[in-house]
Amino acid sequence: MGKRSREEEDEAAAKERPTKCTRSSTDDLLSKLSDELILRVLAFLPVSQLAVCQRLSSKYHTLAGDSQIWKSHYYNRFVRPRASRLPGLKELDDSSHSLHFASKASRWLDDEHLVERGRKTNWKRQYKLRHNWTKGTCAVNEIPVAEEAAVPPLLVQMHDGIIYMADQTDGLRAWTAQGERKLIAQRAFEKDHGPPTALAIDTQQHPEPTSTLLVGFQDGAFAMYALQVDEEKFVPRYGHEASSNGVVSAVAVAYPYAVTMTATHLMSLYRFSRQADKAETEMLDPPRLLYSLKSHNVWPPLSTSLRKSERNITISIAYALPTYLSGWTVGIQEVKLDLTGKLLDSRLASAIDQHYRPLAFSLPPMMQHLPLPVSGSLATATMMEMRHIHSKPTSLSYTHPYLLVSHPDNTLTLYLVTSNTESLCISAGSRLWGHTSSVSGAHVAARGKAVSVSRRGDELRVWELEGGFASTAARKRLASGELSVQIRAEKRVMHEAAQAGLDLTSVGSAAPDKADDGTEDGAAELTLTRGWIGFDDEQVVVLKERSGGRQALVVYDFT
Amino acid sequence: MAGEGEQMVKLVSSDQVEIPVERKVAERSMLIKNMIEDLGAPGEEPIPIMNVSEPVLRKVLEWCTHHKNDPAPTQDDDADSRKKTTDIEDWDQKFMQVDQEMLFEIILAANYMDIKALLDVGCKTVANMIKGKSPEEIRKTFNIQNDFTPEEEDQIRRENEWAEDR
Repeated sequence: MGKRSREEEDEAAAKERPTKCTRSSTDDLLSKLSDELILRVLAFLPVSQLAVCQRLSSKYHTLAGDSQIWKSHYYNRFVRPRASRLPGLKELDDSSHSLHFASKASRWLDDEHLVERGRKTNWKRQYKLRHNWTKGTCAVNEIPVAEEAAVPPLLVQMHDGIIYMADQTDGLRAWTAQGERKLIAQRAFEKDHGPPTALAIDTQQHPEPTSTLLVGFQDGAFAMYALQVDEEKFVPRYGHEASSNGVVSAVAVAYPYAVTMTATHLMSLYRFSRQADKAETEMLDPPRLLYSLKSHNVWPPLSTSLRKSERNITISIAYALPTYLSGWTVGIQEVKLDLTGKLLDSRLASAIDQHYRPLAFSLPPMMQHLPLPVSGSLATATMMEMRHIHSKPTSLSYTHPYLLVSHPDNTLTLYLVTSNTESLCISAGSRLWGHTSSVSGAHVAARGKAVSVSRRGDELRVWELEGGFASTAARKRLASGELSVQIRAEKRVMHEAAQAGLDLTSVGSAAPDKADDGTEDGAAELTLTRGWIGFDDEQVVVLKERSGGRQALVVYDFT
Repeated sequence: MAGEGEQMVKLVSSDQVEIPVERKVAERSMLIKNMIEDLGAPGEEPIPIMNVSEPVLRKVLEWCTHHKNDPAPTQDDDADSRKKTTDIEDWDQKFMQVDQEMLFEIILAANYMDIKALLDVGCKTVANMIKGKSPEEIRKTFNIQNDFTPEEEDQIRRENEWAEDR
């Protein structure tokens, strides 16, 4: 009886529920929704769960990889938080909806170039890239570039995914930094001018199939080349004869303008005439010297830049500046010219103006006015300031408005430069801590992203310096050491990286007096490329020197 | 004052069942709101809700009744009001404790009837069913057919490893 009744019950239950049960246990109701509705569901998931959903099936692989979903994650994580860091955009932070996809805000906050490229942006890829930057995760690859030490060392520049190198033995070389990382072009120098001493790429040039390079040499000569990316070759465009002004220590180019800076502190601005009738492969006529200037206070390491606009040309030279009492600081010389080379304005600024009171002169009179006990405390204040004395910078990088200097004492200093029609000034420097050994190179790019490398090449750090330290939030981050993250190799290349690390330490212990000898420091710091470091959106490239002078480019790939 | 709020309209489900409902409740649906405005003489002509069956329509109207006094949705809050949270208020959570079939019917109805807030509640409910689960668990929950070979799936897992350990 009981059995029967149970059967009846089962039957009754089966009558009621079967449709529901069987249907919901065999039908994939979720997948039957339109793609639009599934995307609406997926939009509520965090990034980690989207990654899981991509594994479900090919349908969900596509849907959970949807660019719009990743775009909104990208904005929420990387763009919107920056609003609070940017002065003047704070009010937008409160009414957050106006910021979300508002074009005006995104013009400031978004990576404009992503939109400018005109291609369809893969937002998942962009998200991953930024994610890896913030975590410091990357793959490491090495490109051996020189078997023997080049004297002076290799010159390296990086622009738009191409690494440019110049040295006496191998001439000019260009490598693609993306993909398989191959040598795409090589060319020996036309004449023997001695080793190349300065290298610059025209970063303002559009469109991109060719890029213009300027090389300066030891005997004062300079030469211009064009790299034709598609045809994978360098084409000489101009060669300037050797000059009595000595070693060319820095160059900058924004075609048709070029700037050279010699070790004898002579700056020259040239303009090439527009020659529409000449093919891109022909040699250009000699340029006209538009302007020259002798500057006595510019010392290496220095960084020159040339910006041209429709109306004028601005040349900025950022340099290290020795002072008598407070060690080294930085200065900037800015020269503004109209297009014909007429001088419009020339301004000088140095961080010393605001940062250091001229101790020798202002202190004694102050002491006279003050009773003794206070002068004691003043002395401590002086001591405090003395401790801030900067040793000679190891490198200097200037991308307006950020001026970043690296020091041998494990720190970096960030200065903010203000340049407007009224004035040119440099803010007081902010010390950046984080490195645990001497910093040999640093490079700062637009939006305040910076990368620095230690002298041994074993510690790389990524910094977010946007907006400086005007806000309390930024100062808090500065104090807590959250400004930077150390770059570490991804798991799958750990083995390789470990080997590289081993290699480096063995170099250090086998020849301790070679690279690490204190007496060599001065000389090493004078060389401009030691500790050369460069980066773009996707990778950091560091030039490393091994035992026996073997040099290699190490590429840290964040994609 | 007295007239508008308590005015009734007649809705007709796909299976031809007529359901009288307060106009204010029905107008949570932008579809119905627009139809009423187009008809001109509300209350007299029944309004056909073509794609929604009686039980689902009743369920949707239950939600509309509870939320009839919510502030009207604004036009431009599309991207924004859906803050990246899947929090659902208690009443809605209880309301959504239905079987999967009903859940997806509600989502489809909310989409068709253009009731954005209900659609979001539905999508959040589904998202919460996905959250924290492994691919295999999600497939089991929704009966999703895996058309990847183990190698392919592993390949994707490795490609996405960076995103999973957050």
